This record gives sequence, C-alpha cells and structure tokens, in this order.
Amino acid sequence: MSRHVIDRAEEIPPGTRRVVDLDGRSIGVFNVEGTFYALRNRCPHHGAPLCEGPVSGTMLPSDPDEYRFSTAREHQIIRCPWHGYEFRLDDGRGLVKPETSRVKAYRVEVEAGDVVVYTR
Amino acid sequence: MSVSTAAAAAPDRATDVGVIDSDVHPNFEAGIRDLIPYMTDTWRQRMGFGQEGWETSFAASAFHLPLNYLHVNTAGAFRKDAAFEGKPPASDARHTARDLFDRHDISRGLLIAGQMFGIGAMPQAEVAATLASAYNEWMDERWLQVDDRYRGALIIAPQDPDLAVAEIERMAGRDAIAAIFMPLHEILWGEKHYHPIFEAAQRHELPVVTHPSGTESIFARAPKMAGTPTFYIEWHAGLAQIHYSNVLSMLCHGTFERFPGLKVVIAEGGFTWLAELMWKLDRDWQSLRDEVPWIKRPPSEYILDHVWCTTQPFVEPHKKEHVAQVLDMVCADRNLIFSSDYPHWDFDDPQRALAAIDPALRRRIMVEAPLEVYGDRIR
Repeated sequence: MSRHVIDRAEEIPPGTRRVVDLDGRSIGVFNVEGTFYALRNRCPHHGAPLCEGPVSGTMLPSDPDEYRFSTAREHQIIRCPWHGYEFRLDDGRGLVKPETSRVKAYRVEVEAGDVVVYTR
Repeated sequence: MSVSTAAAAAPDRATDVGVIDSDVHPNFEAGIRDLIPYMTDTWRQRMGFGQEGWETSFAASAFHLPLNYLHVNTAGAFRKDAAFEGKPPASDARHTARDLFDRHDISRGLLIAGQMFGIGAMPQAEVAATLASAYNEWMDERWLQVDDRYRGALIIAPQDPDLAVAEIERMAGRDAIAAIFMPLHEILWGEKHYHPIFEAAQRHELPVVTHPSGTESIFARAPKMAGTPTFYIEWHAGLAQIHYSNVLSMLCHGTFERFPGLKVVIAEGGFTWLAELMWKLDRDWQSLRDEVPWIKRPPSEYILDHVWCTTQPFVEPHKKEHVAQVLDMVCADRNLIFSSDYPHWDFDDPQRALAAIDPALRRRIMVEAPLEVYGDRIR
C-alpha cells in the first residue's frame, strides 16, 4: 500500500479537483460537498482523461416520460469528457454495464488535515 | 440431393405444427368492391359505391385503396403461377391452401390484408376503420372458415386509436385470429398516439404485425422516406428505413417498459438492419442515457424480447458464409420468423430460401420461434 499526501484539505475546497501523478498513474482527486473521491484519470472506454469531465448528480431510472434527477451522495458521477459515459465517483462503476465497465477508484482519507490517497 | 421438407423443419412434437408462414396475402377479386357486402348501405353510399360503369374508373368517384400507384414492377407484382381459373393470385382460399400449404408443406399461414396495406394513409379515420371492419369480416368468412391452416391478422385503422381498439375488441375473440395488423401511418410507433392500441394488444396477447404499406412517401399521411423514390426498385430496396425508424421510436419512448407484454412483428421489412440498430443504440445509450432514463436495460435487449422480423425477402450475400454470420449478428434465433410473402413476386420458398442455414436454426425460425410469438392461437 502506497500512501500519498496530496495537499492540505482546505487547498482542495468543495467543488474542486486536483489531477495528480502518483507512481506514474494520473489520478483525479475530487471534493464534492466535503467528501473526497479519487479515480484513475483514464476512461475504460477509449482512454480519455476521464477526470477532466464534469461532476454532477445523475438522472435516475424512471417510468416512461418521467424524469428524476438526484444529487444525493450515492448518485454523484463523473462524466467522461469524450463520450459522456457516466461513472460513480465512490466506486468507479459505470452507470451502464456496472459489472464490466469500471474505472479504478482509490481509497482517499483526510488525515490530520491532509488529503491522503492510497494506491495499490 | 434434394432437400426434403422434413429435413427443412420437422413439426413441433407437442403441437404437430410444422412450418409457420407469417406473411400470406389474400387478395380481392374485384378490389375494394369485394368489401361492399360487408358494410352498411350508409357506408356504401358514403364511399361512392353506388356508381356504376364508366364513372367508377375516374378519380373521386369512389374510394380507392391507397397503394403504390406511382411505381411499376415490370415483372408484375404477383407470382404469375398463383393465378387460378382467371382469378387474381390468392383470391381463392381453397386454391391458395393447395398451392401454398400443400405444395410447400406449410402448416400455418398468417393472413395479412394484401390490398389494405395503405389504409393508414386515408385522411378520414372512419373510412379506414369501416374498410378494416369489412375486410375482417371478409377474411373470416372467405378464408378463416374455409381451411383451418389459415390464421388471421385482424386489421385496424391506425389513424384513430379509439376506433382501432373497438375493432380489436370486436374481433379478438374470433376463432383463428392470431395477430393484429396495424398498417403504417405518418406517426412514429413510439408516440403516445398508439398507447391504447398497444394496451389492447397486450391485454389480448395478440402480436402487432406491420408491413410495408405501398404508400411510403407517396401519400401525405403515409410514413416518409428521406424523399420520394423515382423507381420501384429504389422504393422496394429502401423500405427498411421506415421500420428502422419505428423500432427506434418505440425503444426511445420506452414502449416496451410501458407495455412489457407487447410483441411486434415486422413483416417484409428486412432484418440485417437490426444489427446496426442494436449496436448503435447500445453504444449511444451509454452516452445519452439521461435523456431517456426509462431505458433501463441495453436497448438491444428490448429488441430481443419484443421484436421479430420475418425472413422474406431473404438475404443473398455475395459470400455464402456471410449468411450465417449476419444471422448470428442479428440474433436470428431470437428475432427471426419465416415468411413466404405468397403470392407476391418476391416469394420465398421455405425449402429453398433458407436451405443454406444450420438446420437447428432453420427449425427455430420456421417452427419454434413463431409458436412462441403467436402462442396457442397458432396451434
């Protein structure tokens, strides 16, 4: 397990992100309303820099002709800047085909005011 | 070595039903006038059938059935050998039973109104609905009661869902009715317009069958192609685009989420386009899912569960090995059912057209899959 201190937590305030290089891997660290997430910066579809895409809530499955948009924590997603594929921020699973489409999610903690990402 | 029919597709053991033909077209002897006995005096008057002689040959003298009057098939649109005793092909139920069922060893044939394809283009729904009711009576009396191998697709007027549902309610319980034939109309099939029809179809467990209408891009209320084709060959080879659009419309509107028991059969609309549609939509869904969040599964899965295409006119690729490949691509074991299109010119013989494909798959397409589509009504 490799421990990486990214920065002081207040330097990555809510609504921002930091893309860093850890052990040769590009990884995005996100602060969404005070919760930190870390994902590999590579879309499993075509290799796009996933972590440069927008972070948002998601449109939930619904009955025909109804829309239900959720910004709940468990519905926070990152959307690939190339083809718009959506991945959950917490576990990296694709909203579509979650069994096969997944981006690596890393454990991220705030330890003594530091944002810490654990790789491998 | 000749291909025996038994080898082509042995009957289902439990039902003794053999090859099922999902596209057979009964014809009138004298066109729309064959329906005169099956409508009221009032409607005969309304439709202009009171006139006789030279007047009947002019436009606006009486209703004519909308069909393809602007293109010519110089080979003739019908099998010449299907004519019988001077009457048009497939206008005699007994002769047709011999010529189709006996000669080609076909066990069941679904009748789809041969000259009524285009009624969805008529401007007054009540006229189309009256013709539909008259046709259904004609089909019942002249065909379904003549030979028990016939099954009927009850026709409806798609312009007016209330009238269409009333006709479904009137006819669904008749013996030998096995499907609903919904002619094409200008409105795409995913739209709310059709919900009452699909609800009734689902409730009666009747598949909804459609077919090229002969009016595409010719009449204003018919479905549009990209433009009006100049030639018959251009029109004929391009008909799949209508069905492609309708299936796409149903998938995007969540029609099969709304009506989970609905079955749709596309007769004579081609089928290789299913591969493009399934792949394209499954990929786009991953990007554009949030616009249509009611699509809860990969769109192709709805096609596999709810849509069937008929085989005729069967594909003849330049390389024979491509037949098996394209059948694999479109999941033919799930989505394809046999049709002959008797007595039209592009008829497929069940023993010849599919002779090159794997026997187990052929049996699936000719016997098992259609038994699943139509259920007890085809047995």
